[in-house]
Amino acid sequence: MLYRIAGQYKTSYAADHALFPVRQDAYLLGFILVMAFVVFPMTASEFAFRALLIPVLIYSLAALGLNILTGYAGQLSLGTGAFMGVGAYACYKIVTIFPELNLVVAIALSGFFSAAVGVAFGLPSLRIKGFYLAIATLAAQFFLVWLFQKWSWLYNHSSSAAIQVPNIDMFGITVAGPTARAITQYYFVLCVVCAVTIFAINITRGRIGRIWKSVRDMDIAAELVGINLMKAKLTAFFVSSYIVGVAGALFVFLWRGAAEANLFEIPLSFRVLFIAIIGGLGSIMGNYLGAILIVALPVVLSTVPAALGVPIASATAEHLNIMIVGALIITFLILEPHGLAQLWATIREKFILWPFPH
Amino acid sequence: MRNLIKTTLLSAAIAAAPLALAGAAWAQDTLSLPNLSYRTGPFAATGIPLMNGQRDYMLMLNERDGGVNGVLLGYEECETGYNTEKGVECYEKTKATGIVTQPWSTGITLQVLPKSNVDKIPILAPGYGFSAMQDGKTFQWAYNPPASYWDGASMILQNISGGNLDSLKGKKIAFLHLDHPFGKEPIPLFQAMAEKHGFSFLPIPVGLSEMQNQSAQWLQIRREKPDFVVMWGWGAMNAGAITEAVKTKYPMNQFVGIWWSSLDGDLKLVGEEGKGYRSISWSFPNSQSPVMQDVKKYVVDAGKSMINKDAGEFEWVFYQRGILISAMLVEGIKAAQANFNTKVINAEQLRWGLENLKFDDASIKSLGLEGMIPPFSTSCANHTGHSGGWMLEWDGSKFVKASDLLQADRAAIDPLVTSEAAKYAAANAPWPVSTECKM
Repeated sequence: MLYRIAGQYKTSYAADHALFPVRQDAYLLGFILVMAFVVFPMTASEFAFRALLIPVLIYSLAALGLNILTGYAGQLSLGTGAFMGVGAYACYKIVTIFPELNLVVAIALSGFFSAAVGVAFGLPSLRIKGFYLAIATLAAQFFLVWLFQKWSWLYNHSSSAAIQVPNIDMFGITVAGPTARAITQYYFVLCVVCAVTIFAINITRGRIGRIWKSVRDMDIAAELVGINLMKAKLTAFFVSSYIVGVAGALFVFLWRGAAEANLFEIPLSFRVLFIAIIGGLGSIMGNYLGAILIVALPVVLSTVPAALGVPIASATAEHLNIMIVGALIITFLILEPHGLAQLWATIREKFILWPFPH
Repeated sequence: MRNLIKTTLLSAAIAAAPLALAGAAWAQDTLSLPNLSYRTGPFAATGIPLMNGQRDYMLMLNERDGGVNGVLLGYEECETGYNTEKGVECYEKTKATGIVTQPWSTGITLQVLPKSNVDKIPILAPGYGFSAMQDGKTFQWAYNPPASYWDGASMILQNISGGNLDSLKGKKIAFLHLDHPFGKEPIPLFQAMAEKHGFSFLPIPVGLSEMQNQSAQWLQIRREKPDFVVMWGWGAMNAGAITEAVKTKYPMNQFVGIWWSSLDGDLKLVGEEGKGYRSISWSFPNSQSPVMQDVKKYVVDAGKSMINKDAGEFEWVFYQRGILISAMLVEGIKAAQANFNTKVINAEQLRWGLENLKFDDASIKSLGLEGMIPPFSTSCANHTGHSGGWMLEWDGSKFVKASDLLQADRAAIDPLVTSEAAKYAAANAPWPVSTECKM
């Protein structure tokens, strides 16, 4: 009913390969964008911005970066947290060395640093794959965090060994730092995330994306049909680490406001990996669904007891929270092992066939 | 089945309604005092007794006096698990109603500190946070009474040198610390002192993932044979270091910790073998003091406390330190109530109150805190107050006082405070510096 595709004819190849072959998908996306750009900013409280909306967007972006590498090109990585750190520290150095620079430019530039580091640590992928590659990226994780702690130039020799985001203006509006308003930061993050998402959708649908997928599905076959594996794998590492680096810069500059090296330790890598896996590897939308489940749901759940007036100690609530989220993750993975994106695809399929289940 | 569900929902709704109403009525003349606690995670062992102490003092005042001047103290915990991400979430959640922020982690303090000027909520970080927060003109909204980490470092050096720092010349001091902003905090002071007094200073970091297994660090200590090991440890790191020191037979009387490394539970693990371990402290447990007796009567014996009675937590240094932390906050509230002549104070008024804390001998006695805390007072220029501290020593079963009241070397610390505060303000420009404070 809602997803009736009768009457939507495709008369050209271009129409058949369009981004939204079914018109309802475009309506749905339009609705979500209106919500994100108009409705949420008008209704959200500062708490909702800082604890729900902004983190979900930033984690989605990080998971998107990882998904390009793992989901599209099939290269397992456990170093996401460290690559985010490279982006954050690079952005910090750029901003403190060139205080006049526009923040968008600084963030865009910092992505290149993490892309370069990502390519360097991606070199082993030419010889090894699977779990062996995961161990190589794990080395990147440990080495880079160690470097963030030891190389005091990175944090401008501050005695607390942490980086602090200064107030940064853009066209007269403070966008980062303690005096920035939450709504400004939200719009900033939203615009960056939208731009990167559009880029990611197009690159994964196009020639390069198809090369990555062929490498993922069977690299020997891909090589036999004339695909340059080195180029394919390294571009995947480059694009993925670039996006992850941008996410890292946003993570510190538009959300946390301060960071120390151990923020980028392995738990962060795992968190992003879980978002990508639960959302669905090899999908763009899955990252958003995964981030909502892993980042936003615990925050929402933790406000439930207080909202219902149930007198429960906050530590107990936290324990319950962890148990509920854990149970939900397992349930979702049993229901749909290919992630939330696949779950949505199944639901959508049912809607299209409705009311005639085959 | 459907009926059953309906009945259950209905009865749940009926049961919940009075609770919601009671909540509303209770909120009328209550001060909301949030605490970003951690009863979960790797630091829970050290967090729990402190949080219990803070909670029980507030409960005791509510039970005994009906709050302060007729206003109930609404102590609320928001669980962070020492996770900086949860810390931001809790800060955002509590800042709308709370009149104070107690971040309970140097990492969370770092994130919250720049926002305090904008949100106008005082940060109370007793005995932790930035040492430079002492400079009240720069850090107008942050308070770290009664002593800073630099005070602690200076007092430790004085005690181990026997009062004359030059006697440390040629000696080697290893600094075993958590590789975290908290552990790195005293390094600048130690380095300055090492240069001035000619001892060699060897920082040995312990990563968050190595807290429970410090064999590499203690191997290094065994190789270097330092004359003293000074420890800046927290959570699981303390127990790890103390058991490792016993295992490698490092002489306990050369092993000294900061006040967050004096958890009774950690030393009970080694018992007699930990004899001689020392820890500097701005607090001392006195279970016979009137306040502790009242806490026992109104909270612990009434079954309202969350403490572990079997472990003897009531007597612990940390539990009674939690009591003192709440006492400082409540004295700040009282000062603000008296000055602004209002019962329900707001965050800005509490800021004034914390700036005018007076813990002199008379007020410590009248509060019933005898022997538990040295006298100190804060001002608009000095947010620390510098109570000084005592060296505590583990006698095999409990901590005892092992020194007279020690005072930090102000001449060595104050210039460092001024320069670090100026550096912070410059890095975060435009940073408002108080012009009202003329001290």
